[in-house]
Amino acid sequence: MLCRLTRWLISRAEDGGKEMPRFAGRHAARCGACREYARFAGRMSQQFSGEMPAFLAKVPDTSWDPAGLEAEILRTQDRTLSRRRLALRPLPAAAAVLLAAAAALVLFQVVKRDRPLSSAEKRMAIADLKSVAAAPAGFEGAVAEADSLLDRERRILENSVVSAFEYLQDRLNIMIERRDIPKTL
Amino acid sequence: MIENGPIERKPDEELAREARAGSRLSFEELVRRYKPRLFVYFRPRLGSDQDAEDLVQETFFKIYRNIRHYDPAFRFSAWLYTAANRLAVDSYRRKKTAAGRIGPTVANDADLSVRAAEDTRSTSLWDAARTLGGKQYRVLWLRYGEELSVDDIALSLGKSPLAVRLLLHRARMNLMKRMRPASARAAAVTVEETKAG
Repeated sequence: MLCRLTRWLISRAEDGGKEMPRFAGRHAARCGACREYARFAGRMSQQFSGEMPAFLAKVPDTSWDPAGLEAEILRTQDRTLSRRRLALRPLPAAAAVLLAAAAALVLFQVVKRDRPLSSAEKRMAIADLKSVAAAPAGFEGAVAEADSLLDRERRILENSVVSAFEYLQDRLNIMIERRDIPKTL
Repeated sequence: MIENGPIERKPDEELAREARAGSRLSFEELVRRYKPRLFVYFRPRLGSDQDAEDLVQETFFKIYRNIRHYDPAFRFSAWLYTAANRLAVDSYRRKKTAAGRIGPTVANDADLSVRAAEDTRSTSLWDAARTLGGKQYRVLWLRYGEELSVDDIALSLGKSPLAVRLLLHRARMNLMKRMRPASARAAAVTVEETKAG
């Protein structure tokens, strides 16, 4: 258990963490396996660096495709340019969109307005007119109903005004007289 | 004029800054420096040399596309390996999806065991490290090959610093176990030679 802990502390010290506690140092001095691990871990950096050139020399001469990079550069430039174009000219783009929308609207309206009625539509419109003309009582009824609604509204208003007068007279102890009474009130 | 001195002597960060400003020469120098390094980084994880080469090339394309986002305040190698790791993960996932299976492939396992067997004949620390398997080899490479700090490695691999320390610790322990037979053999040979002498 102490060996495991000591080796972990040795590793942590190697990785630039905290310093190894003294108890771990004392244990490493006594324990041969931990001492060997400390030596191994301490040597690793130097050994890895020393072996690096030989290790990299074993790498096969990897084929680097300059044409691929050229194509990538061109693609990147294209993307950057198109992005710049959009970024630098937002107003013309917005104007073009608005113009197109306006043109579509006008065209739609003109086409819609100028479109002649089909014979079936004409027949339906004439039938509607005839039905209205054939039932004047219905018209009158509708007008009378609208009038009665207006009357009711007027009466509600009159009542409100009268109650307001009464309230003010009671509250202020005054007399309010109507000199020129409007016909409607 | 962007290039002010011998390009080979310039640090990576300066080259990356120049590449960001549009210097093709600086970018090519970065490619020259990191091409073999990325290859040995990718190779144990992938099935073939060709796959590793493709991924190296893809990484540099990605770096070139995104070079304008590079901040010279950070180490170039940490940034490069972050992109490389993401691409490797994507590539690995694509392959798994294409093969219709989850988990390590039989070929890779066989490859690893063959390499482990080869390792007993080899005393090279890097060769032994390659046989440790993906994560442990990668942290060893980033720590000792690229001399990145634990925090930079954590950033590159998308792990916590503690997870990286644990991986490094396990890698060291395993590496010592693998190197021990070779060193023991070497010691035995030395003893025999001494006796014979």
